[in-house]
Amino acid sequence: MVGFLPLQDVVLPDRIAELTGLGQFGVLGDFIAAFLAAFIIANLMLAMSGVAGPWAKRKITAAFTDRIAVNRIGPFGLLIIPASSVQLLAKELIIPEGVDRPAYDLAPLVIASSAMLGFAVIPMGNGIHLADPETGLVLVFAIASIASLGLATAGYASNNKYSMLGGLRAVAQNIAYEIPLIVTAASVVIFAGTLQMSEIVAAQAQPLVTVAGISIPSWYAFVNPFAFVLFMAANMAEVGRNPFDVPEAPTEIVAGYQTEYSSVYFVLIYLGEFLHIFLGAAIVTTIFLGGPAGPVLPGIVWFIIKIWAIFLFTQWARSALPRVRIDQLIEIGWKGMLVLSFANLVLTAIIVGVFIA
Amino acid sequence: MSLERPRPDQSYVTDDGVDYDAIEELLGEHVLGRETHINAEGFVIRPDEVQEVLFALRDQAGFDHLSVVTAQEYGDRYESIYHLKKYDDPTQELSVVVPTSKDNPVSQTAEPVYRTADWHEREAYDLVGIEYEGHPDPRRILLPETWQGHPLSLDYDQDRPQIVTLTEHANPIADDHYESESDTMFLNIGPHHPATHGVLHLKAVLDGEQVVDVDPDIGYLHRCEEQMAQQGTYRHQIMPYPDRWDYAPGGLMNEWGYARAAEDLADIEVPEYAQVIRTLGAELCRICSHMLALGTFCLDIYGDFTAIFMYAMRDREKVQSLLEDLTGSRMMFNYLRLGGVAWDLPEPREEFFEKTRDFLDDLPEATQEYHDLITSNEIFQIRTIDTGVLEPEVAKQYGATGPVARASGIDYDLRRDDPYGYYPELDWDVATDDGCDNYARLLVRMQEVEQSAKIIEQCIDVLESWPEEDREIQSNVPRTLRPEADTEIYRAVEAAKGELGIYIRADGTDKPARFKIRSPCFSNLHTLPEMSEGEYIADLIASLGSLDIILGEVDR
Repeated sequence: MVGFLPLQDVVLPDRIAELTGLGQFGVLGDFIAAFLAAFIIANLMLAMSGVAGPWAKRKITAAFTDRIAVNRIGPFGLLIIPASSVQLLAKELIIPEGVDRPAYDLAPLVIASSAMLGFAVIPMGNGIHLADPETGLVLVFAIASIASLGLATAGYASNNKYSMLGGLRAVAQNIAYEIPLIVTAASVVIFAGTLQMSEIVAAQAQPLVTVAGISIPSWYAFVNPFAFVLFMAANMAEVGRNPFDVPEAPTEIVAGYQTEYSSVYFVLIYLGEFLHIFLGAAIVTTIFLGGPAGPVLPGIVWFIIKIWAIFLFTQWARSALPRVRIDQLIEIGWKGMLVLSFANLVLTAIIVGVFIA
Repeated sequence: MSLERPRPDQSYVTDDGVDYDAIEELLGEHVLGRETHINAEGFVIRPDEVQEVLFALRDQAGFDHLSVVTAQEYGDRYESIYHLKKYDDPTQELSVVVPTSKDNPVSQTAEPVYRTADWHEREAYDLVGIEYEGHPDPRRILLPETWQGHPLSLDYDQDRPQIVTLTEHANPIADDHYESESDTMFLNIGPHHPATHGVLHLKAVLDGEQVVDVDPDIGYLHRCEEQMAQQGTYRHQIMPYPDRWDYAPGGLMNEWGYARAAEDLADIEVPEYAQVIRTLGAELCRICSHMLALGTFCLDIYGDFTAIFMYAMRDREKVQSLLEDLTGSRMMFNYLRLGGVAWDLPEPREEFFEKTRDFLDDLPEATQEYHDLITSNEIFQIRTIDTGVLEPEVAKQYGATGPVARASGIDYDLRRDDPYGYYPELDWDVATDDGCDNYARLLVRMQEVEQSAKIIEQCIDVLESWPEEDREIQSNVPRTLRPEADTEIYRAVEAAKGELGIYIRADGTDKPARFKIRSPCFSNLHTLPEMSEGEYIADLIASLGSLDIILGEVDR
């Protein structure tokens, strides 16, 4: 392991405990501090993905497609956010006959909460980091995968053939793309020599090369661009956006697993999807783009800029790229991405073993 | 011709067209009598010899295109008319008239000879009540299975309420094709589904994601257009209806379909100046229609409202505003009149010309953008190339026309092959492609947009230099038209979707006795099962999009 000085070895709950003096109340104080920290982070993420996200998505897509989008209520149509929230929550919750009840109700919760949980281990800069376990990277992938369970449950429990097809597609897609995703991430682990998120970030802090006085940091996107591209592609499939939005495929299977969901349940699924895109962006940021690192501005600002940039990228792909067919998607996953990701892993291992170690 | 195949015997053709006497000789004693329709000779045959006669006409005389089957009821008999044509030369026409008795209206099916007869005969049974012996699927097609009576038959009581209760309907969910041994799944795609381009119901049987069987269920948008036309007077009351068939909008082309048939029936001349305006308007409509086809086809491949859909809509909007300037309407034009058009170009003319030229100048850039965005996209190519394959011979069997046929390498375009309007004077090409797949259909439409632009450009030049004193937009047409009794005509134009034909039988009054619409979408949709069985459900949706059907025209 390369010697370095960890940037943030103090996670947010400890810091809150320290600042508020909760630390002296023992376990209970720690618990309250942790709860407060989680509350802050969750609200930050919800504000971004649940509140700003749908509005920004409308505006971004409109910009790509020569439209204006929301502009009637409030400046830049911003008040559409509360208006839409009230509208969505006020809708009647229709539960079709014959649905598999507890499963049907649990699925939206699983989808939304699993994505939320992943942010716990993401270092967001300025000490905003809920937990920093040694196995952070594995944990975040494990958590993100739980969403697939939610999708399959929603598809199965809805008692609708389109939902069923969507759920099955979601499972097939996630299996096909999560392996390349994780294998590609493993190549980063070889570089960094650790699974701990804060240390992966720290490992990217050193300058890679200095050109004309500007030093380019050794972000893994620059060190291993091939892995970065692979990871971005697999991530698109993981979050189910074009060209890999096969599980929803509105023109083919109506809305896939979410066909039968309305009102609050629909909001939860929709929120889960947005959170998932942001979580995917946060993982990319952390392991390829140096996490919160950046000049002048505070770390958290850089972190937000980076995840929004990746969000923008998904919306761009959504506007411009056709959807692949399910069999083509599976083929790309198993025959293309899997092979490439293993090639990348082996190559990285050799390079690191021979030249760096 | 891009299509190689043995040429049929030329002995049934003279320099003037079909050698009807030679054909009478060919058919020998099958011929009970001959009728003269304005467009072609009609051969009257026995109802139990339909297949024999049609086989002979198809294989020996080369009539490989069954345009439409018209069914009608007379006071003393029922009659099915098979309007035959040749894909090589659609001016060579022939009608086979099959009378059946009142008390036993049974006629032999033509389905083994022409696959397209399947749907046409179902419609004939549904609306008129003729039964076709040996038909593989003798169900109603437009009306519900529980419908009582046949609406276009003479003794049908329109005022009697139909008692079609919900329980009498076959419940689409109940019949699940479920067998414990079978792995297939029955899936209702539509009538409410994002990708059915209207209200279409596809009864699909899936094996996993693959389509085992698909059965289009149409008629949700049936508005009795034929009957309404039969209740309107030739002069003014029928013209608004064609706008409601293909409302993509193909309005002016549809109106021209009616105008052409009625003008030939009543022997009305159209001033050349009006023909140029008609040509201009029809091609504007074609661009509009193809832009919508392109946009919605991509919608099926991309999902949601993506860039390409909005770009196509953006450019279509420009044409719509041109059409609005010309006709005063964006969709339901009602602009053509028998013997001309309703009014001249909008004043100031220079402004209209300039606006049209601006659009034409911007069009190459727009099409290039489409090519950059879609046709050269590799994902788009793997999705569309070699999917939804429609072989040329199959396309002919189903009576496919328009871009669907031309993308299967069938060089068939009525604007050139059966000239009308101002097309023969202009310099343009028929776009064809040998790809036979979804991609080829898209390419053909994109090329046709370019060709239409070329036609419009020339029309604008012609109109601009037209001397002011000769701008005759309407010929003298009697206030009330009463074409001679028992004159019959079938005339077609090349609409955006293909051959749009109108059959009219006059009975001496000012309203048609029978008004039959040959809808190109109807025949094109019939090819869907052939294209998509064995393919993935995603390709079924893409193929449906590539057919560019407008349900208003399918169901009429």
